[in-house]
Amino acid sequence: MMLLKLAWLNIWRNKRRTIITATSVFFAVLLAIVFRSLTDGVYDNMIHNVVSYSSGYLQIHQKGYWDEQSIDNTFQEDQQLYQVLLKNSKVTHIMPRLQTFALASYANKTKGVLVLGIDPIKEREVNNLHDKIVAGEYIESVSDNAVVLGEGLAAHLKLKVNDTLILLGQGYHASSAAAKFRVKGLIKLGALELNNNVVYMPIQQSQYMHGAENRLTSVSVMLDKATNLKKLKQSLQESIDSNTYEVMSWKEMIPEMDQFIEADSTAHYIIIGVLYFVISFGLFGTLLMMIFERKHELGILIAIGMKKRLLALVLLLESIMISLLGCFAGVIGGILFIKWFTIYPIHLTGELKEVYEDYGIESIIYFSSHEKIFITQTLVVLIVSILLAFYPGYKVMKLKPVEAINS
Amino acid sequence: MVKTIIDAHNVSKTFNPKTVPVHAVQNVHVHIEEGEFVALVGPSGSGKSTLLNMMGGLDEPTAGSVIIDGVEITKLSENKLIDFRLHNIGFVFQSFNLIPVLTAKENVGFVLQLQHVPKMEREKRVLTLLEEVGLKDKINSKPGELSGGQQQRVAVARALASKPKIILADEPTANLDSKSAANLLDIMAKLNKEEKITFLFSTHDQRVIKKARRVITLVDGKVASDVQQTPT
Repeated sequence: MMLLKLAWLNIWRNKRRTIITATSVFFAVLLAIVFRSLTDGVYDNMIHNVVSYSSGYLQIHQKGYWDEQSIDNTFQEDQQLYQVLLKNSKVTHIMPRLQTFALASYANKTKGVLVLGIDPIKEREVNNLHDKIVAGEYIESVSDNAVVLGEGLAAHLKLKVNDTLILLGQGYHASSAAAKFRVKGLIKLGALELNNNVVYMPIQQSQYMHGAENRLTSVSVMLDKATNLKKLKQSLQESIDSNTYEVMSWKEMIPEMDQFIEADSTAHYIIIGVLYFVISFGLFGTLLMMIFERKHELGILIAIGMKKRLLALVLLLESIMISLLGCFAGVIGGILFIKWFTIYPIHLTGELKEVYEDYGIESIIYFSSHEKIFITQTLVVLIVSILLAFYPGYKVMKLKPVEAINS
Repeated sequence: MVKTIIDAHNVSKTFNPKTVPVHAVQNVHVHIEEGEFVALVGPSGSGKSTLLNMMGGLDEPTAGSVIIDGVEITKLSENKLIDFRLHNIGFVFQSFNLIPVLTAKENVGFVLQLQHVPKMEREKRVLTLLEEVGLKDKINSKPGELSGGQQQRVAVARALASKPKIILADEPTANLDSKSAANLLDIMAKLNKEEKITFLFSTHDQRVIKKARRVITLVDGKVASDVQQTPT
């Protein structure tokens, strides 16, 4: 307690210097928080947009499906499995799907396509698929005898709404799958690959066409918070029959997106690292001044019986206190900043908005308010201040009382 | 039987031994008995402060040994020496040397906190000491709010806080006016008489020398004379 009080009083001996040093820490923390919050917000938005159209955050398959993505590796639709998934508080939506490949044909044009058998109602709750319709209408029920095509695919096949599309593929257990469907709508998707290749079909129609009644290739799972991915995966693995099903996260299914985020994050960490490195010099300078100014006094304290390690501890506390003052102010500033932009997110306009929407990403910049961002910055500042205090601490340990008193 | 409290045995101190050696103290033998009031005098550069620092364990002799109350402090490790000083030696320095951010009460209590004395006992002792040095009304004043004489009295109270056997004072009156110096000396003489604390001063000040019962004179790092006298 005595040491804390002494350290606190010492840092206010030179108020202006302490305020300047703490202010530099404040700006470093504020910038780092805003920067991380912005990039994490963009990543989260990007992930959500991509996974909601494709894999989901998590996917349940029959064991072995991912290695051999064949209709023969489908599993029987299981209400019990749905109940287990929906019982988990972290699960917000589930989307059963039957995903196959087929040859699509219209007039004299053919193309290999991805056929996604979906529950249109469940999908629209998650990815607003109906909002992406650019011509015609969205499919309304699981038994609707119609399909919705990616706009790029429709352009390739040169077909329009209400034309008839023929699909030919492989059905369950080597049966042949062939059917014709009315094109009910065209959809514009940001992911070019999907836009040029996808056919959305009501799941019951797809099951019927493939001779795979009540069978699914996957159940996509959406969750409440992206940060709960690992925990949820683990808890689902524990709660479902692991001999029958496998649980995969989007990171395993779309590794290229995960790698892109990792690489991009590394660049951001380097920028933040440089910022902290510069600020560290300011703090280090303050600590050195504090020890040189008080060398005589430190000598006196050692003379009257204060152990050097206690003195080093006082200097360490002073370093931590100055840093934490700036850090707490920075965290509070960061919280207020992010709170403001959570209530009033940045809506992109002009060309940037079009670029975002072309890629199927919502043209709104969200800021992430995950507590990890604030905790990390506080810990970084704390560690930096502890590391910086080592040198003054070392100088104290080497101090000769007589030399210090006579300085 | 009178007990030897400080025994400086054949003590020498040479600065810069490898470059330009300066023999600050040379083969000094000094025995100081419990309860003595000793002035260490001599011209500037005679080695008074160096000898005092070695006797207080603040500096290491190049040769010889210092024994305080039976403990050879020259053989103690750094940490043990700091502990020994905390419990056995009080220091009063020339330029007051209080902790500027602490009040008079906190400055005196600081040493007791280092000794882990319980709060109640600590506060009682601090008040008693500040009363003894005549600063009961200044307990909450910071050093910057006190005169030089008052600061030096706080320094004496701090030196006494740990109930040391010895108080070493390096030119304690050098920065004081005559009235403050006389007042400080009276307090020290009283403590020496009533509490049998041994006082050893390095000084130029005739007022201090006159109060001492024994005067050791150093010249060129050697003891030139060691005389008993009647204080006036």
